[in-house]
Amino acid sequence: MSVLSSGLPEHIDDEENLARFLTSSSHFNSIMVKAAAFFPNPSDGQTSVSRHGAQPSETLWEIGSHAAGTRTLHGAAIFKAQHVREAMLDVLAKEPPPRHANITNWPTSAKDSDLERAQRKECALILARHAILLRR
Amino acid sequence: MPGTISKIKYAAGLTVATLTVAPPCGHAISSEARLVYARTSEVQDFAEQSQALFGEKASAISQIHELAEEYAEQNWDGENALAISPTAIQTAIDFIRLLPKDIPLPEFAPEPDGAISLDWIESRHKVFSLSIGESNRLAFAWLDGTSQGHGVEYFDGEEIPSKVLYGIKDTMNYERSLLRAA
Repeated sequence: MSVLSSGLPEHIDDEENLARFLTSSSHFNSIMVKAAAFFPNPSDGQTSVSRHGAQPSETLWEIGSHAAGTRTLHGAAIFKAQHVREAMLDVLAKEPPPRHANITNWPTSAKDSDLERAQRKECALILARHAILLRR
Repeated sequence: MPGTISKIKYAAGLTVATLTVAPPCGHAISSEARLVYARTSEVQDFAEQSQALFGEKASAISQIHELAEEYAEQNWDGENALAISPTAIQTAIDFIRLLPKDIPLPEFAPEPDGAISLDWIESRHKVFSLSIGESNRLAFAWLDGTSQGHGVEYFDGEEIPSKVLYGIKDTMNYERSLLRAA
């Protein structure tokens, strides 16, 4: 099994925790992280996440602050790789930066962009159902 | 017949005069007076309901405008997100105006492709989420316990599709809440 420069294995295990950093206060409420927080980037069709292992939360916020840049980092949605696969998506390591990974395999429909959006929303809702909101 | 005329000022600057009538008392009250009192009370109730409804929807529409302002620039997420589209803003406002008065209003969130997400969240396991974007079709998905699904419905700006209304009502335990209120 190949090892990345961060020291993490290239393959992301089902039990690994992933963090989706939240820079929009509209992407969560007191009950849950909303589906919109997980939607893929329109230019590459992937969702950026950070592999969040047993490292202290300070490290998570350090990585998150770097990713957020000038935007406010409100918190992170924490979920497992198995939840990504349960939604029929996949998560693949993509370094640099260290610990970075992409959620891939979002549904596509070249003929019907609205249907594609609905299918993606369903996948995002499955992630949202499992995600734990970690406030900064 | 004692009564007062008061004015209700609406957010849009519209002022409506309302007549408040004291209930008839004593024995020397004609049936016409009782009828006038009853009708006036109905008008007053209707005006109060309209005011409450207008206030809640006006607040929701303000939230849409605030969202549009906050996410008006491209790349608002640092990941190449598109600015919220003016078409999406107008369609979302039309949708809110058409929502029946008993349906709870949603929360709003930006989506990275310039659409607006309208979310009805009963719990983390019971959610109805609708996307309003550039097209005249509404993409939606729902969670209900361990089951979930998605759909697309045409929106003409004049009537909310019945499948969408049903989905919202089912998610928010609409029938149950009506029974509770009764």
